Formats: sequence, structure tokens, C-alpha cells
Amino acid sequence: MNVEIISDDQRDALQEIVNIGMGQAGASIARVLGEFVELSVPQISAVDADAIPVTLATLAGSGVASAVRQAFLGELRGEAIVIFTEHSASDLAELLSYGNEVDGPASRELLLDISNVLVGACLGGIAELLHAEIGFSAPSLLADQVAPGELVQAETIAARCALLVEVRFGLEKRVFRSHLVMLMPEDAVAALQRALDRFIEEI
Amino acid sequence: MSVSVLVVDDSSMARKMLIRALPPDWDITVRQAANGIEALTAYRQGGVDVIFLDLNMPDMDGYQVLETLRREDLNCLVIVVSADIQEAAQTRVRAMGAIAFIKKPVDAARVKAVLMEYGLLL
Amino acid sequence: MHAPAPVGESAALLESLVERIDVGVFAVDRAGTLVLWNRFMAVHSGKSRADTLGKNLFALFPELPRRWLEKKLESVFVLGNNAFTLWELRPYLFRFPHHRPITGGLDAMRQNVTFLPLRTSGGEVTLVCGTVFDYTDTAMAQDRLHDAIAALSREKEAQGQLIVKLEAAQNQLLQSEKMASIGQLAAGIAHEINNPVGFVNSNLQTLKKYCQQMLGLIAAYQPAEARIDNPAMLAEISRIKQALDIEFLQEDLPALIKESEDGLFRIKKIVEDLKDFSHVNESDWQYADLNAGLDSTLNVVWNEVKYKATVDKNYGQLPAVECLAAQLNQVFMNLIINAVQAIDESRGMGTIALSTGHQDAWVWVEVKDSGQGMSEEVQKRIFEPFFTTKPVGKGTGLGMSVSYNIVQKHHGRIDLDSLPGAGTRFRIWLPVSQRAAAP
Repeated sequence: MNVEIISDDQRDALQEIVNIGMGQAGASIARVLGEFVELSVPQISAVDADAIPVTLATLAGSGVASAVRQAFLGELRGEAIVIFTEHSASDLAELLSYGNEVDGPASRELLLDISNVLVGACLGGIAELLHAEIGFSAPSLLADQVAPGELVQAETIAARCALLVEVRFGLEKRVFRSHLVMLMPEDAVAALQRALDRFIEEI
Repeated sequence: MSVSVLVVDDSSMARKMLIRALPPDWDITVRQAANGIEALTAYRQGGVDVIFLDLNMPDMDGYQVLETLRREDLNCLVIVVSADIQEAAQTRVRAMGAIAFIKKPVDAARVKAVLMEYGLLL
Repeated sequence: MHAPAPVGESAALLESLVERIDVGVFAVDRAGTLVLWNRFMAVHSGKSRADTLGKNLFALFPELPRRWLEKKLESVFVLGNNAFTLWELRPYLFRFPHHRPITGGLDAMRQNVTFLPLRTSGGEVTLVCGTVFDYTDTAMAQDRLHDAIAALSREKEAQGQLIVKLEAAQNQLLQSEKMASIGQLAAGIAHEINNPVGFVNSNLQTLKKYCQQMLGLIAAYQPAEARIDNPAMLAEISRIKQALDIEFLQEDLPALIKESEDGLFRIKKIVEDLKDFSHVNESDWQYADLNAGLDSTLNVVWNEVKYKATVDKNYGQLPAVECLAAQLNQVFMNLIINAVQAIDESRGMGTIALSTGHQDAWVWVEVKDSGQGMSEEVQKRIFEPFFTTKPVGKGTGLGMSVSYNIVQKHHGRIDLDSLPGAGTRFRIWLPVSQRAAAP
């Protein structure tokens, strides 16, 4: 696959947009959760479809992980995957006012809720900067406490290759480490390029 | 006399965006740096009046630059420009000596207001 | 949602749509006050619009998880993004009765709920709208599917276990059949061998007698040799004596005959064992005390045992058991002898534990040794006729197969437990009464 699926200028613009979008997201999330959010510098890359499972597994590290997927649709189209490598269910429950009893279904619901917040804020921020209209599907659990290699099955991936944006999320005072991975299939990248070009024009 | 401005950000797009948001009638010479190390080198060369500083940079981030400038007895004005806009970040940089915090995406009106507040624009 | 406020006819159309759509639609402001409540919500909650508009959502529905829902709504107000609940993780938000008063279903309606931000023209989120979808039918179908899968899994497991049992039964059957056909073969061979063995033995005895007599004659002739004048005859006699090596002959003849006798004896023993194995001789069934039988058998072989092992006896209370006592004793003897022979003398005295017990309609007799044990391969073949781990000449290898047959005849079974290097344990199970035992 052609590694340069977007031009250098577009890449620079996307990097900055993603930085700003994630920064804004961090602030919103901090308001909702009431705690300081740690964000890494977002990384942009292009991957072949068969490299996606390995890429996710590398982000997940060693030990078990869970993952939630959520689609974004409209002018920007793709899927966001949130990988949870380390979290304390009781900490998250506290943040989202779940109360004391965090049983199996509640702990899964927690992951979906946190993902929904992260994905909505990050992708919403990016879409807003690009003046693009997007909507979201409901989140669903992709993998529950599995080995990193099992987060997603290669055979089920529909795209041939994808644009990948990855950022690490942590909460300063809590046991919480997650990766947000935004994946856009190659046939959706054209729309992204148009939006980026528009943005570059308008600066 | 021309004000010497240093724009520090690892993204060339961001530097472009900031420079375009500066008041057009402001008499300045602009230098650019892509990370904290380059920024400090430029600063030590002397003659830097205002620094527009990004926070999230590889190798040496904005916080580290602020820290170093303070230690070396900062004698220029630092305005932080960042996407990381949480309350706590803003408080932190002010405590470390920044005179203002401007949120990205940079708005020209906001830049002008800050400059006027600190008497940099006449 | 950024739709402009509708005007006139189109407004009425939209209002009608929201009111009548088969999805629950309601909206609250930041304080939790209800500003929209459609027919679906009214019908299922039993609270009309008049009852609800302008009132607080949580005051009207105290069973809602307040803190959690407030947080969820808050996130929509602050972030401006949708939020969701899914029936699989949270069966319902509002407890509405399901709509199957006759045909039945679940205890309450299953719901997926989406929360949407509604903005004014200023861009602020002023209202959050909730849409409630009835997923009861889907949930019930899922439940049925789960039940079906669980039932299939259970059946599969039961079948798996059945297969294991069938395989075991088949193995046993094969073993029995093998034994039965070998038994018949053995009977035939025994019969065939008996006759020639019989007359060879009798001929041998005669031969022995003749040899003794011939040697006697030669011995009688010895002193007469001195009286022979004829030198040619003397020379001839001397030549023959040398050629024959007469002294060696005199020694070797009796030895040869003895060895042949031994050989025949061994053949006779094998034939007897073979006949036992095929049960040419059946005697009558009696009620016997197995503890006593075990003791008397131990007595018979005591000489073999006493220098090689100590014997621990642990007899339970046994009822009288219907059996062929002599044959059972043969089995006990076989096991005890094997136990003794398994013990490695270089490691000192071993132990043999004899125990008996009574359980429901069965009794058991156990012989355990601290000997060298048996590998898996040996364990598999131990009951095969002519299979032996003993060196050539020692034992016939028929003992265990005969024992197996005897126990089978009693409708019992033999359990075997062995670990190389640690020892072996044989436990024989026998039914107390033959009538009660399965054929």
C-alpha cells in the first residue's frame, strides 16, 4: 500500500488538527470526569489491513486487555477503537457515579460509557475544526479481557488499508491507561483530504 | 524598534497558523523553533522579547522550557499557546512564569487582546 | 441537532410524528424538568403528558438510578455528544410492563435508550432528548437461542460421556471375546498334546529302566574284561570304549533322562494350566469365607513369601460369598506369588498388604505390593494369555489370564493400579450372590 496516502501538507494539517482536537477533548473530558486528563502526542500513520491486529496488540502491550469499538459516520467515516490495558473498575465507577455494585454487566457498561465520552469528545473536536458533520453509532464491546493478539480478528477486517491516529489517555490520580485508535478505511480518506484542503485554504 | 518574536511549536502548520494570527501592523521580526532545545538555543543567542510557546513537543516540552527559562532568570515574555486547555494546565504554566495562555485554534482577536493587555501593542 | 424551528403545517406534521412514533421520546432540561413526553411514554408509564410536563423526571420516577443518570445526562450537556444504554448490559431504564398479558414474556420491557443533545440557535445544549426503543422481542429471541445452545451443549457433553462409556464397554467385550476364543483354542491344544505327552512319558520311563539295566550289564561285564585272552577282542573293546567315552556316557545318560523327565513335567504342567484356563473342570458353587481362603492360600505359599516381604493384613467383615472357592484360591495364590516376585530383593524386605472389604452387594479383596510396579504397556497386556515379564523357563504366563477368567466367571472384575518404581495394587470385586449379579 502507498504509505503516502495523504500529502505532507495535509499530514501537517491533520497532525495539528488532531492535536487541537484532542486537547479540547481532554478539557471536556476533564470537566465531565472532574479530574486532570493526561494526553500523549497523537501519532498518525498508515497501516495495511493485515497489520491492524498486530498494531493494536503492540499498543495493548502484555497482559489482558479489553476493547470497545464505535463507528463515526458522515463526512468523516471510520471506526474508533478504545483499548483498555489497565483500569480499576471501582475507580471508573466512581467517576461515572455507578455506585458500589459493579458486577459483570456494569463493568462492561462502564467501558462503553467511558469510550463513548472519549470518542465523542476527540472525534467531535476534530470534526468541528474541519467543519465536517459527523454522527456516531452506539459503542459495542469488541473484546473482553483477552490476550492482546485477540483484540480484533484479521479475517473480519473489511478495509484493505487504513489511516490510523493513536493517542494515549490516562488519568493522573487513577489507575487508568487506555489507547484511542481512530481508523479510516482507504475509501474514506478522499473525503478527509478534501476537508483538510479546505482547512489549509482557510488559514 | 522591531520586537523580536520567537514562535516555538513542533508543527509547522501550527507555527503558520499562529504567525497569521498576529496583528498585521505589529512591527516584529519572527524566528521559529521546532522544539524546546532549538528554542533555548535561540533564546540564549539573545535578543528575544516575546516567546509564543507550545506545550506538547517531543524531546523537550513547553513545561521544561519554562522551567529552564525561570532558572536562567527569564527576561522575556512567554505566552503559552496550546491545545491542552484543561484548567490545571493553564494554572500550572502561569505559576511557572507564563504571562498568558492562548487556546488553540488561535483566534487573532484574542492574540491582540493579550498583547494589548501587556503593553506590547501600542 | 441543528434543525431550524419548524413553522405552521410542517410543524404540526413533525409534532404529530414525534407524538405517534412507536419509540419513546422525552426531553429534559438541565434541571431535570420534563419538557417533552410522547404517547409511547404515556401509554407505557401510565402517566400522561399532563401528569409529567413541567415536573422533575426523578420525582416522577423514583426508581430511576438517579446519580448515574444525572451523570450521563450531564455528559451529554457538556460534551454535546450522544450517549447510549444497551439492553444486554442494562435491561431497562424505565420499568415498563411488557406488552404480553396473555402470551407472556419477560418481567419487564427491554430497552435501548439513546440520549441526544438538542441545541438552540446559539449552539448551547439546552435540552437532552431520550429515545426509548422496545427490544423485548429481540431479548426473548436471544434468550431462546441461549437456552437452545445451552441444551445442545449439555447434550453434547452427555453424549461425549456416553461415548467414553461405550468405548470402555467395547474394549471389555473385545477382551472377553479374545479370552473366550483363546480359551477354546487352549482346550483343543491341551487335548491334542495330552496323548503324545502321555505315551512319550511312559516310553521315557521304560527307556530309563532299560538304560539302567544296560548300564548294569556293562558294569557286570567290567570285571570280566580282565579275563579276556584274545588280544584282538581286547583291542576292539578298548577302541569302542574310547570312541564311546564310556565314563562320560555312564554319567550323561541318567542326566539326559532326568532332563527329559523334567521337560515332560513342564509340558504336563502347561497342559494342566491350559485346561484350567479353559475350565474343563467345573465344580459346584458354595458359600465361602474369603478371609479364610486368603489365609489358607497365604499359608501354602508362606515359604516363598517369608524371606522377601512382610505381610500386613487388614480384613473387613465379609459375608459368605457364593463362589468356586478352589478357583478363587488359585487367583489369590497367583496374585500373592506375583507380588512376591515383583519385590526387588536388593532393596531389602518389601511389603505386601492384604485387605478385604464389603460394599453394598459386593465384596473386594486387595493385594498390594511395594515392588517394582508395571509400566503402562505392561498393564495393558497383563491379562493376555502367555504374556509374561518373567525370564524364560520361569512361569508359563498363564496365571493372570486364568485369574481374569475365573473372576469373570464369578461376574466380578479386577482393578489394577500400578506405578513403576512404587508398587502395584490389584483389587478383585466379587458379587456376594450370583443370582443378583448381571449376566
